[in-house]
Amino acid sequence: MFQAESKPDSYHAYRVISRKEILARLQDPALLLVNVMPSETFEAGHIPRSISLPVVEVDSKARQFLPDSEREIIIYCAGPT
Amino acid sequence: MGYTNLHYYIGGMADWIENGGPVEKVQPAAAPRSSQNIQSLVSRTSWTGFLDLLAGWSLERLVGFWLGMIVVFGVVYWVAGIGMGWGLQAGNVAVKPNLEGLGTAIYFSFVTALSIGYGDVIPLGALRILAVAEGIAGLLIFGCVISKLVSRRQEELTGEIHRTTFDDRLDRVRTNLHLVFSDFGAVQQLQVEQGSLPGQVLRRLESTVRVFRGELQTVHDLLYRSQVVPDEEALESLLANLVICLQSLVELSGSRPKNNGESAALDNGLRAIGNLARDICGECVPRNYAPALKESMDQIHELAGKIG
Repeated sequence: MFQAESKPDSYHAYRVISRKEILARLQDPALLLVNVMPSETFEAGHIPRSISLPVVEVDSKARQFLPDSEREIIIYCAGPT
Repeated sequence: MGYTNLHYYIGGMADWIENGGPVEKVQPAAAPRSSQNIQSLVSRTSWTGFLDLLAGWSLERLVGFWLGMIVVFGVVYWVAGIGMGWGLQAGNVAVKPNLEGLGTAIYFSFVTALSIGYGDVIPLGALRILAVAEGIAGLLIFGCVISKLVSRRQEELTGEIHRTTFDDRLDRVRTNLHLVFSDFGAVQQLQVEQGSLPGQVLRRLESTVRVFRGELQTVHDLLYRSQVVPDEEALESLLANLVICLQSLVELSGSRPKNNGESAALDNGLRAIGNLARDICGECVPRNYAPALKESMDQIHELAGKIG
């Protein structure tokens, strides 16, 4: 789902964030990092403080893990798709 | 999904690691004791390790190794006969230190390795130990060769079965998509004629949407995590079918009276279809396909935005 978003489109608004910015704000509790790779890949290595939400579960679990829709959320996967 | 403050880190893990960002890992839970025991048991017996090594070799390599071993043993028997005086004996005469003798030695080696043991040539002294060792090794390796031959045939058969099932599945997807398309058309006509859908037709539409969702999932899986690569022609017709189905679904949902809330199942189905179809676009699927296929995929991606 998020792979489709690598093309900017109208029905999913998001802002691209840089590596530097993440690094600078790594300790900022307001920031929520979401790793959308499968959980095995997540376990093998992820950005510290990330939570795991595999793409296939986004639809069913997003509301549960990310109840606050105004929170600053960063999503990322393996690399540029 | 209504999130207003969403950021996307395009580089992902690859970029993160490449530039030396800190990485966190989840420590795997300790393996259960029993499996650890089994593992140490396996590694302790070097014999099974040797057999595993042999089993990993290709058939050609195994046969080559086996033949090479026999020849080397034969030469050793022959040299031992020249140098040390306790070589092979054919009849009651020692094997001669010439080419004929070498031939006899290699012949003896084959007879031993195959555990035939005619007894026309016999080893003397310490060569007996060598002959027994060759017999054991020859049997083991030959066993591996045979098992390789059998399993190769079996693998061919399994591959054949996989291919047939795969083709069948593709056929079924194609047929189902066609049925879905004609169903959508029929429903739409009813809707145009009657203005709304009677309950029975609505049930039918629900079930069609369910079938469509299933087949869309199949194509999605095919593009994203298929072990078998379908040939592009088959894929092209599948994608073309998908496009027309989606088109008629878009038309159908466009002309459906909004906010009737009559069928949650239908709405759920449509949402799932939209999400699945959104994943399909020329750039986002992991494999590279012909431009024509990419175009169809982009079309699907675009249509997905119009659903629901």
